[in-house]
Parts: sequence; structure tokens; C-alpha cells
Amino acid sequence: MISSLAIIAFAALIHASFQLSVSMLTLLSGHAIGNKTAHTKLLRLTSSFSLGVAVMTMLLLSFIAFVLQHSFGSQAPLVAWAVACGLVLGLGVAVWAFYYRRETGTSLWIPRGMARYLSERTKATKLGTEAFGLGLSSVIAELLFIIAPMAISALVLIQLEPSLQLLGIALYTGVSLFSLLIVWGLIGSGHKLSQIQKWRESNKRFLQFAAGSGLLILGFYVYVDQVVTATALAGGSL
Amino acid sequence: MMAIHIVKRDGERPTEQFVRSKLHNSIRAACLSVRSPEGEAEMTAQKVCDAVLHWLSTKPEVTSSDLRRKAVQTLEIHHPEAAYLYKHHRLVI
Repeated sequence: MISSLAIIAFAALIHASFQLSVSMLTLLSGHAIGNKTAHTKLLRLTSSFSLGVAVMTMLLLSFIAFVLQHSFGSQAPLVAWAVACGLVLGLGVAVWAFYYRRETGTSLWIPRGMARYLSERTKATKLGTEAFGLGLSSVIAELLFIIAPMAISALVLIQLEPSLQLLGIALYTGVSLFSLLIVWGLIGSGHKLSQIQKWRESNKRFLQFAAGSGLLILGFYVYVDQVVTATALAGGSL
Repeated sequence: MMAIHIVKRDGERPTEQFVRSKLHNSIRAACLSVRSPEGEAEMTAQKVCDAVLHWLSTKPEVTSSDLRRKAVQTLEIHHPEAAYLYKHHRLVI
């Protein structure tokens, strides 16, 4: 049980190192402060955005776990674990190579049309409900990167008892929001956006390396834990 | 002063006339974004607009990228932090 929750927490930590939601929160705050928005309204916007991210993360993980449980019951076949591990390992290498674009700033390897759209929507966001919707869509836009840690977490979740499944979903959501909540706190406490953005830019290669390495470690560990061990045990019992 | 035409990014959109207030507001917003006091933001925007207008005075047509580059160059002198945000605004996502 502890190792299952540890896998979920580690996958969520990898999720937290992905930066689209943080970028959008930075941009949203920049526009709001630049338009002389009152501090309470700024807090409302950023809180609504973060809440939107949390809700969509929770819904998405629950949905993936529901589909997997519906398809496989409480024990996924080895092939499902192998496919999920392959996805995680492949994405780990891809994140190492491609996560940030090779230019200044913190532009990500997401389709440019989508990035422009998100940027325009962020600029146009004035209400808490819009910010909430933006938070929801930021998770969808990042799906390409977060699908792998989510898939592994969902496979782990379906093995747990229902009450622990709820704990697992809450744990994943809480840990995955870690970086977003730090930036939310910094903005709320009056830190300059330029300092936050400069830090993000100067550490982007480290974050990219950490995310990619985390995915490779997760994929390798889960493959050994769930596929190799199960195969060896099955071989030994024959 | 004669009308100065701004050629938009990628040349996809039609050219438009230079409007000082548009540049002023964007510089002011960049300064406010880094939590500068309003008076300082206004003054910085004035200085940058004056410098850009002086630079534009001999040019009938410039690209929006050149205009932005000149604005950043001047803003870096008066307010480096705001210049950083102004420069990287499109490179956040």
C-alpha cells in the first residue's frame, strides 16, 4: 500500500515539474497587474485558475482510472503495465530532447496555434469563472506530457481499496499542484513577476532534465516492480 | 509629424498607423506588471515613447518587430525589469 502511494506521489511530482499551467498563471497575473487589477481580484483570478487546474487533474485521473478499472477490473494485465511503462520511458526521452523550445523564454513544445490561443485567452480573462475555465483547459493542453504519469497512477489506483483510491487521487492532485501553488503564493505575497520568470528561464534546463529523468526512473521502477517481478514469480511457480 | 506605417508581424495582417497611446499603454502595463508605482510607470512610458518617436522621425515605415526592439532597447535603460517582461511577453508559453 505504501509503495503504491509512493508511486502515485512520485508520478504526481513529475507532473508538477511540467510548466504550462505555471506559465499561464504567470501570464494571467502579468496582465491582471498590468491592468491595475485590485489585489483581491488578482487573488480571486489566480485562485480560480489554480482550482480549475486541480479539478481537471482530479477528473482526468479519475476518468483514466475508471476506464482502466472498467476494462481490466482491479488487476491490470501485464501487457497494460508494459505499454504504460513504454509510454513513460518514451516520454522521458522526449522530454529530455524536446520539452522547451530552443529559444529564449520558456516556450514549450506544444502546437504554436494552441499556445497563441491560450495566450490570447489568458490576456482576455477578466472574471473568476473565466480563470477557472482557463485552469481546466491548461491541463487538457498539457495532456501530451502528463498522460504518462497519470496512466501509471491510474493503473496503481485500480489495485487499491475504494477508500485508498480516493486518498490516492487526492494525493496525486495535491502533489501535482505543488509548483503551481508555490508560484500562486509568490504572486499573492507581492513578488515581482520578472523575478519569477527569470528564475524559471534560468532553471528551465534543470527542470527539463529532472522531469525527463523522473519519467525514466518511474518507468524503469514500475516495469521491474510490476512486469519483471510478476513474470519471474509466474516462471518460478511453474 | 507625418504618418508612420507599421508592418505587422509575418506580414500577414495589413499595415497600420503608429499610435503613440498604444505603445504608451503597453510600456506602462509592463512597468505595472513588475509592481512599479503608477507615477514611475507613466514617466517611463513617456520617456520610451519620446525615444521611439525620435527614432521613427526619419522613417516612413517600420516593422512591428523593429518597433518592439527599439522600445525594449530604450526600456532597458530606464527599467530593466519591465524590459525583461516586455521582451519575453510572447515567449512565456
